[in-house]
Amino acid sequence: MIKKLLMALPLTVALAVPSVAQEGFPDRALRIVHGFGAGGNADTVSRIMAEQMSQGLGEPVVVESRPGAGGTVASGYVTQQDPDGYTMQLMVGGHAVAAALYNELPYDSVGGYTFISTLGQFPFFVAARAGEYESIDAMIDAALANPGSLKIGHSGVGSTQHLTGELLALRTGAEFIHVPYQGGAAASTALMGGEVDIVIDTGTVLTGQAEAGVYDILAATSAERWPDMPDVPTLSETVAPGFDVVSWTAIGMPAGVDDEIAARIRSEVHAALDNPEVRDRIAALGANPGGSTGEELQALIEGQIAVWTDVIETAGIEKR
Amino acid sequence: MIDQFLIGLGVVLQPNILMYAFIGVFIGQLIGVLPGIGAITAISLLLPVTFYLDATTSMIMLAGIYYGSQYGGSIASILLNLPGTPSSVVTCLEGYPLAQNHRAGLALFVAAFSSFVGGMVGVAILVLAAIPMTIIALRFGAPEYAMLVILGLLAASLIGTGSQIRSFAMVVLGIALGLVGADATTGYFRFVAMPELADGISLVSLAMGLFGVSEIIRNASYRSPPGPALSIKMRDVIPTRAEARSLGFPILRGSAIGSFFGALPGTGAAIASFMAYAMERRVSRTPNKFGTGHLPGLAAPESANNAAAQTGFIPTLTLGIPGDAVMALIIGALILNGIIPGPRLMVDQPDLFWGVIASFFVGNIILLMINIPLIRFWVLLLRIPYQKLYPVIIVMICVGVYSHRTSVTDVMLTLAFGVLGYLMKNYRFEPAPVLLGFVLGPLLEDNFRRTMLLYSGDFTIFLTRPISAVLVACSTLLILFAIWSSIAVRRKPDRSPT
Repeated sequence: MIKKLLMALPLTVALAVPSVAQEGFPDRALRIVHGFGAGGNADTVSRIMAEQMSQGLGEPVVVESRPGAGGTVASGYVTQQDPDGYTMQLMVGGHAVAAALYNELPYDSVGGYTFISTLGQFPFFVAARAGEYESIDAMIDAALANPGSLKIGHSGVGSTQHLTGELLALRTGAEFIHVPYQGGAAASTALMGGEVDIVIDTGTVLTGQAEAGVYDILAATSAERWPDMPDVPTLSETVAPGFDVVSWTAIGMPAGVDDEIAARIRSEVHAALDNPEVRDRIAALGANPGGSTGEELQALIEGQIAVWTDVIETAGIEKR
Repeated sequence: MIDQFLIGLGVVLQPNILMYAFIGVFIGQLIGVLPGIGAITAISLLLPVTFYLDATTSMIMLAGIYYGSQYGGSIASILLNLPGTPSSVVTCLEGYPLAQNHRAGLALFVAAFSSFVGGMVGVAILVLAAIPMTIIALRFGAPEYAMLVILGLLAASLIGTGSQIRSFAMVVLGIALGLVGADATTGYFRFVAMPELADGISLVSLAMGLFGVSEIIRNASYRSPPGPALSIKMRDVIPTRAEARSLGFPILRGSAIGSFFGALPGTGAAIASFMAYAMERRVSRTPNKFGTGHLPGLAAPESANNAAAQTGFIPTLTLGIPGDAVMALIIGALILNGIIPGPRLMVDQPDLFWGVIASFFVGNIILLMINIPLIRFWVLLLRIPYQKLYPVIIVMICVGVYSHRTSVTDVMLTLAFGVLGYLMKNYRFEPAPVLLGFVLGPLLEDNFRRTMLLYSGDFTIFLTRPISAVLVACSTLLILFAIWSSIAVRRKPDRSPT
């Protein structure tokens, strides 16, 4: 009898473990993995979230940088981790681009994840040297009148900025020369020096020059006008109806995380995003802070993968 | 402008801010000494601290780390042939032979003093000519960069101490290594054997491997390491009057070259130091002394990398444009403090703008004051037996390289490059040209192909744009001069070729 009880013990313990794990979750340090360099925006957002979430969870949250190949090294790593709820990934808009751009990824960009929540979204802006074009319509008209004469500088082949420029060309029928630079700052320098006519990039890259009157911001790429710049029209309301490109940051976990644990993490993320100080810091990086459900995040990513796959195919961009 | 500079000085001399300036340059000095750990790692680690500081203080501290690391970088180069930062690779070429000739103290003194002068020239240009330099920098488009790199490669083709052919072969090897990674124009992956290589080989890995690790392997094969008789008397540290006189022009030329390259976004301290060294060899009356511990060859690149570290702030401060990855991080700190850097920074935030510039002035003085007394201490490091020192250094290199991109592959590559560097030295191939090709090759390819894209494949663009045309003319003259001098040498076989 005792022997039987003893034999049953491990089984009982094993059965009991999941619920104990949820009740006692978390009982050790968690981590946020991201795929970019230390000190970059992804790293900064991770640290802001880690600091705030560790207070809510009562356990330390460690930030781990695994840079390489546009963030895909980190994604490959995270999706192979145990879905025990202790590993999170800070994901960015490049995740959807990578899904469309790479021939073979060592992970499933959608199925490999338990999606938690968005953290914030931000649009790109179309900028030109001040006084060059009266409006976004004038710029597109100029491009249509002289196909292949206007040059758009972007932050690298296969970057969201690049693909947004290609998408603009597809939607308006204008032909541009897309010129790659090593990052948005270099593209902005080229715009200032007159080497290119247009740059599409984030607010942090462009608004400093715009405030100084060096650039005109012609349009925003989001479906709605950007709250910080209510006077800037969207592409959708002017030259390209339905145009909607935003980049985003979000939190994901490996596929198969227990629903209750995912819900717990989600509520911590949302609680962190309700903190005004966290909102301010994320807003300072040019993003509009805001959480979502896992389904909303998944729909956002799936939608973008579809759009970018189409753009890459139509524009003839070399897949990797 | 001097008035505003004095206001800035008033900002930085507040005890609180002065303390952060000191902390910055001190950390910079320290991480510069440590192999592999560069300003990027240190700044990104300290970035969260700046949440709690105001923008001016953060920027003064982070900037101090950056230019402080240029001072520190030369120390390991001189003592151990181990470049602390990529921009102090060239310092190895003359500094290490000096140390082996028991003149480490002198080399450290000259490096510190040249660094100081270079830094001060950089600050002076920042104060007096930031705006004109910005305008010149904006004139440099893709064609100009492409032609500038060609001129640089030609000028530096003499950088090795051995035969020209060998040196040239090493430049080509460097360019080939620079090809690894995603092609900047099409995004196509080249030689990407594993995903970790998608972003290319790290310059830190290559520099640490070819110089530091290879030197350690080489020394490990000596049974009894040559223990240099050490003199740390101040008399042996300070250069003689004749030596000091020979350094004036090299330091000025180095400072000028450094100031120029620093202000150009996308180039920077490493390239500046190579160019200054190449320039000294070109203008020297005794080019065959280079590579044997020639002081002008040490002073010029040291002043150049420090001048570049200061003028590197020109595009950052006047336009809000980061010239390199470190500047991007510093700008990131500003953004986190709610300041979007741009052309209005000078007008909207005069205290920040001039305070930061004045902090460079103060910081360079602090660095000189830290460095001269420390020379005795550094030289004493050489008394540590190799078998105890080297394992520690290898571990530090591995940690440093790993911290750079948190990549184990980078660590493996560093050790592999160490073996390669050892083999190269045994067969008398110089490592410096490899690094030059590695740094300049991708810059040339990127800008040349961008030029072709921008001007629809029109080659004449290189001759119709004025700055580009001048650079082409300089390159042509250099080639003609090389041909002429080789013919002249051949006609007078009695004169020994120099």
